[in-house]
Amino acid sequence: MTGVDVVVVGGGPAGVAAACVVARAGLSTMLMDQRSALGGALHVQPVAGVPAVPMPRRQTTRWRRLTDDLTALPVETRLMTRFSGLDAAGIAIVEDRANESVSPIRARGIVLAVGAVESIVPRPGWDLPGVLTVGGLQVMMKQSGRLPPGRIVLAGSGPLLVAAATQMAALGRSPLAVFEAATPVGAPLAAAALALHPAYAAEALSYLTKLWTARVLWRTRHRLAAISRTDAGLVLTVDGPGGRSSIGADWVGLHDGLRPNDFGLPADGRGGEAGPIVLRAGDCHEVLGGDAAIADGRRAGAEMVRLLAGGGASWAATTALRRHRQAQAAIAGMFRSEPPDLGGLPDSTMLCRCEGKTIGDLRALINGSEGQHAREVKLNGRFSMGACQGRLCAAWTAALMQRGTGDGGPTGRDFTGRRWPTLPVPISAFLEPDQSVTSRDLTFDGVMADRRPDPSPSAT
Amino acid sequence: MGSMTAADGIKWRGKTIPFQPGESIAAALIAAGVVSFGSDLATGARYFCGIGTCQGCLVWVDGVVREACLTPAVAGGTIEPLDPGGKAL
Repeated sequence: MTGVDVVVVGGGPAGVAAACVVARAGLSTMLMDQRSALGGALHVQPVAGVPAVPMPRRQTTRWRRLTDDLTALPVETRLMTRFSGLDAAGIAIVEDRANESVSPIRARGIVLAVGAVESIVPRPGWDLPGVLTVGGLQVMMKQSGRLPPGRIVLAGSGPLLVAAATQMAALGRSPLAVFEAATPVGAPLAAAALALHPAYAAEALSYLTKLWTARVLWRTRHRLAAISRTDAGLVLTVDGPGGRSSIGADWVGLHDGLRPNDFGLPADGRGGEAGPIVLRAGDCHEVLGGDAAIADGRRAGAEMVRLLAGGGASWAATTALRRHRQAQAAIAGMFRSEPPDLGGLPDSTMLCRCEGKTIGDLRALINGSEGQHAREVKLNGRFSMGACQGRLCAAWTAALMQRGTGDGGPTGRDFTGRRWPTLPVPISAFLEPDQSVTSRDLTFDGVMADRRPDPSPSAT
Repeated sequence: MGSMTAADGIKWRGKTIPFQPGESIAAALIAAGVVSFGSDLATGARYFCGIGTCQGCLVWVDGVVREACLTPAVAGGTIEPLDPGGKAL
């Protein structure tokens, strides 16, 4: 079995920064990413012949420096590789998708740098083909240099919509409209707070200027109420200060914020006989953006070095992260709006897309008996039991079960649980061509035993 | 399969789809006008998050279930929806 000091999961800014710190301290390091190139979601690499999507020069320069540092260090980088969790013995299960094989890896420390995911408020029609996330549009622009054909509308809330709209405009494909629930430019106190952070303020100003120059229709204080599909494509129903209106589109990009991709991840652990040290870094630790991710990656890397090798300077990231936190709080202040009225959503609204369960299905399930626990609702109703394991729906299912009496109630974590996110893996990936795998090699709960030759019970 | 090039494209439900070398299956399908990664336009498989977490874009890729958004298109690849009968996943 392969053994390494530190496995870093995720090849974005946080992961690469952590890997550099750990490797520089002399620890054997393996860095893995699910994609065919490093970069994470922020620095998705363009394929050959595709121009890079405009990003703040500060960010691209820092990324290039990071990858230059990485190249100069003895880090084993595995691409098209997904981390499938730790088994009961603390062994890392790693799936190499390029070669379709699963390997056990013994590591003393794991740094999880798996980034953020978008929050998507359930609305009627959010599950229709043609509806996607704004981040998903950005990934497509960054990697392929193109967008889905036809009319595109963006809706939700947050600075990501502005960034994406300007990136679309640069491709000559401005969105038909951007519907923003908040009133960012009408938040002078928050804007003043942002001015204390020059880099962030400059970036915000740059995006807003591009938005204005490209004449993108940015309708603030507008909320998307529903999406429906007709023969002519998608139709959006939008509520604004002037009342309700409709707009047709071929594709709708949704985005209602970012949250750590920490579903099922264990709390940071200091190791011991249970297995490796596990630390989180970057957006999956706390969503603070790409610049903070580098600092947090270094922090986690330094912490790992301290725990594994003893001594070593502890990376003074506290001050840097505090400033990023303040900047993000200022931005959040600018984009603050009323929370969505989940109670007002019609029964037909899809809630658990993977299992085809609607909000009406949930209401029918919980109206029968009071005080149901999340586990009962999950097992009886199948909410969060589907392929995404609650990543999209758990938080909303929990919110819909809140009775507003302040007595707590379930959280999203009660639905997602503490289980490594499962992913589709072909059985063939567990088999090696010239070795017969017996049932003793693979136990029922997914533990993969070390593939030693089977010791014959009758051997003397 | 030995002499396949990008010009051969990938096959989606029997139809040849061109792709840019290195891009994902999802990007190639969408560029070709495919909206649903299932068998129809009702609720079903489609490109959504783009980062491999929502599992909404799962398709058969040469007999293996994979996220279309993460899997690079490879010349000669056969891509099929998970729901051949036309029902939502």
